[in-house]
Amino acid sequence: MTVSLYQTGVSGLLAAQQQLATTGHNISNVNTEGYTRQRAEQNASLGLSNGPNYIGSGTYVQDITRLYDQFSYKEQLLNQSNLGTANNLNGSLNQLNDIMSYSGQAIMNSVDQFYQAVNGVADNPSDLGLRSIVLNQAETLSSDFRSLNQNFDEIEKSINGEIEQVSRKISEISVELAKINETILQTQDLTQAGQPNDLLDKRDQLVTELGQYTKVNTIEDTNGVMTVMIGAGTTLVAGITPLTVRVESGDPDPLQTQLRLVSPHSTVAINGSTLGGSLGGSFEFRDEHLIELRSEINRLAMAISSTLNDSQADGLDLNGQQGANIFTDINTAQLQQGRVLTPTTNAGNLQGQVNITDVSTLPTDEFEVRYNGTDYIMTNMTTNASTNLGAPGSGTYTTSFGFEFIETSGAPANDDSFIIRPTENSAALIKTTLTDGAAIAASSAVEITPSDNNISAGQVTIVDMFDPINAQTAMPIRIDVLESPVGIFNYTITDNLGVTSAPIAYTPPTQAVNLPPLPATASFQIEISGTPSGSAPNAPEQFFIGDAFGLGNNSNIVAMAKTQEQGVINGGKETFSQSLAISTSVVGSKSSSAKLVAETAEALFTQAFNRNQENSGVNLDEEAANLLKFQQAYQAASQIISTANTIFDTILAAVR
Amino acid sequence: MRVSTQQFYFQNSQQLSNKQTDVNDQVKYLASGKRVLTAKDDAVSYGTLAGYKDSLANIEKYQRNLTQAENRNSLQEVSFADAESVMQELKQLFIQANNGVYSDSDLHSLAELAKNSQQQLLNTANAQDESGDYVFAGYQIDVQPFSLQPDNSVIYQGDGGVRKLQIAKNVMVDINQAGDDAFEKVTNNIGDFSANYNVNTSGISVNKAVIVNPGAHNAVANPPDYNFSFTSATDLTITDSNSVVVFNTNTYAPGQTIAFNGIEVQLNGNPLPGDDFDLTPQENISIFDTIKSAIDWMNVGANPADTTQHSVDYEVILGQLDEALNHMTGRRAESGIRLKLIDNQSSNHLDAELYLSSGRSNIEDLDFAKAVATFEQSKASLQAAQQSFVQIKNLSLFNYL
Repeated sequence: MTVSLYQTGVSGLLAAQQQLATTGHNISNVNTEGYTRQRAEQNASLGLSNGPNYIGSGTYVQDITRLYDQFSYKEQLLNQSNLGTANNLNGSLNQLNDIMSYSGQAIMNSVDQFYQAVNGVADNPSDLGLRSIVLNQAETLSSDFRSLNQNFDEIEKSINGEIEQVSRKISEISVELAKINETILQTQDLTQAGQPNDLLDKRDQLVTELGQYTKVNTIEDTNGVMTVMIGAGTTLVAGITPLTVRVESGDPDPLQTQLRLVSPHSTVAINGSTLGGSLGGSFEFRDEHLIELRSEINRLAMAISSTLNDSQADGLDLNGQQGANIFTDINTAQLQQGRVLTPTTNAGNLQGQVNITDVSTLPTDEFEVRYNGTDYIMTNMTTNASTNLGAPGSGTYTTSFGFEFIETSGAPANDDSFIIRPTENSAALIKTTLTDGAAIAASSAVEITPSDNNISAGQVTIVDMFDPINAQTAMPIRIDVLESPVGIFNYTITDNLGVTSAPIAYTPPTQAVNLPPLPATASFQIEISGTPSGSAPNAPEQFFIGDAFGLGNNSNIVAMAKTQEQGVINGGKETFSQSLAISTSVVGSKSSSAKLVAETAEALFTQAFNRNQENSGVNLDEEAANLLKFQQAYQAASQIISTANTIFDTILAAVR
Repeated sequence: MRVSTQQFYFQNSQQLSNKQTDVNDQVKYLASGKRVLTAKDDAVSYGTLAGYKDSLANIEKYQRNLTQAENRNSLQEVSFADAESVMQELKQLFIQANNGVYSDSDLHSLAELAKNSQQQLLNTANAQDESGDYVFAGYQIDVQPFSLQPDNSVIYQGDGGVRKLQIAKNVMVDINQAGDDAFEKVTNNIGDFSANYNVNTSGISVNKAVIVNPGAHNAVANPPDYNFSFTSATDLTITDSNSVVVFNTNTYAPGQTIAFNGIEVQLNGNPLPGDDFDLTPQENISIFDTIKSAIDWMNVGANPADTTQHSVDYEVILGQLDEALNHMTGRRAESGIRLKLIDNQSSNHLDAELYLSSGRSNIEDLDFAKAVATFEQSKASLQAAQQSFVQIKNLSLFNYL
């Protein structure tokens, strides 16, 4: 009897000890990341049969369990991944927003300054000082583009570094998880109740960490071994076999790095955009937002170069020469070839290039040209609309997007594809190629002067200039337009030899005429507009086209200055600064909505974290109370032993 | 609800950091005085804001152009005012020279005075701007546009180029008048032809010779010059340069309008038999040619060989001098009109600037009262969070064990 009282007391002592140990463990781990509070499950021992009665024989600790709710844990995990994506995007877009708002603003200012300088030359076309200011401003403008592009490169590089680092981390976690799985498999004895709680916590903690980087799904088998899947269901840890994630250069664009899952025997590509978590955010940012903005900035750089170069080519410089390019030509061989990316998987040896024909209709989209065995099929990667370009061998393929695809050399094999980025590298390679201020083409080559005796509202204007030097040598030319009889208009061209052409019909309201007349190659184009009637039969409306070159001629530079306010981009709807403002505000609105998404994700995560913590987290006050409780239990159990001892002593004393 | 210790600290630190971010943002806005620092701050209005800034930058650009245009046109206005007074003087000299009491030497000194005036006008026409460019040379600003020849005539070496500057989105203003427009293209006083008198015993003169119907004027079939020949006071025959008769009457009455080949001619005076003159096409007469004629006329002296013709010439030259004076006034007025346009446009820009700046300010600038209030609020809330954290963190059962 007393013996059992001893045992009962001891069992209580032992149980209280374990309880205290568990409480102490909880208290010590209050700040341990991922720790789940533990509880010693105490049970009453089976009573001893004593005749009709069962006498209790104390207590024992049946199990030390984690207070773990897998549902709230999984909810937290899911929200963790979403938070990872949202935070990553928010951070990156915020950075991009800052860059666009400051560097973009710098470009906008440089554009303004450049045009101010151009206007200065318009005020005073012969001033060499003002002319060199234009070139200095042009250099600032092009270097602003290059430095913005540099910024984009840096961002891309840092994102790629991040992807690389995260994938290494994922691989480490994978190995770690497999090890824990193995340990659990070895230590787990299914016949016993106890669980390796801290090992499980460690594993969950690793999974949680993994959850920041990517979406995670886990399945636990009956042996407690966990299979971990990332992204859209790619197995990362299969039981005790870890797979690793490797980064490799993208194809065809090496900077668009891709992930591959490496197992002992094979490797599989992982679609980065479906990964979720911060990795998913990185991929989304790099492959959607950054690339879109880049191509908009590229297009702007291209539009500025092209517009100003064209404007230069329309006029004559201070030395009477045709204006040379201010900025790098938009169709250099380097640029043309850079616009076509050829995957290494192509079986054929076709090399392609892209020639820009019309900046105003150029989209910022990416295109894919695929050879389907008979024809080239071009697909817009944004809208998925495709067009048939025709069979190979034609050399040049015109598109409706302001560019043409050119076969440089070789031939395609069936199913070969090419990625076309029409605006690629324009901002990176923009340079001010003009070095001499005198080479700015301020002067126009030819000018139209209507006769003072003209009586009608009809007009003749120069609409296009192909070759100002030849145009100049073809001067003077006279255009006579006469309405005779009523409603029938004819014009004649009198060339610089005094030879007058036969009457040519003119149909109002407008008609373009190439000059000088055939058989010469056209140097410029005029447009007759309105109803230049003249008075029949002897007095046609006369328009004299003459050589206009002069140091004081500012016509061409005024036209150049006007391009600041002309819609050039996006079908002629946007001016340079409008286009830049649109790009900037798009980034701004993306950034502000990313902030909202991040806030929501944070709130959702906090909620899930709280729910999980409510159940699994350590509360120090609670543990303090438990400490007291179990301390008292321990003291009381000691008292039982002491009582048993007293009883024993009493008996011993009685028989002494 | 159970609250775990970690949760408590986690939430508190999250709250504190959020509130700190708030305060930090507010400080950023307050320090810069702007509510839109980056596109993110107001993505919706950012495009409009950029538009305002762009328009303001454009206005700045236009205003520079306006200043330039105003300077150039003012300079020309002054030049034309000078030219006007020179012409006025010249006209007075010329009238003076015709009063019949002057001797040869008096007339020669008057002619010298007239030459001075011509030199003065030439200086004006060769005016240079602040950078040494010729004002009235069209595009050929490096070439002296007008040069005096030994025979007192003046040739123009510039061109007809007119420079323009943009002073508003769709408004261009001329900043120079080409030298030929300014000094050469003075309308012929009598119309489209000048008369060259071969025999003039009666003192008739051409009052008007105008192509009234250019459509009917056939200069190919009946090319000028046109020779007018009176065989009697009423018999007039006009022949073209191919000696083809284009008009013939035997009932000519003085003052009658003679119409032929789309041209209308009116003569002053009563013709005598044998009177014969040619009409040469000349729409414009250079101001310098007129002055040259005036000087030449004075140099003829007090006793001309043909007094009748001499006085006819006087009338023609005087008429043309008047025309030249009017022309100068017209040029000056044109500069004035441009200056007026520039003025108007300037004040338009000022109005637009005011409205654009206030638009920009509405979007971009910070409402300080509101911002300070928000800042105080954020600050107070951060303080409260900090204080409550400090107090609550002491509430641990362990303190009482």
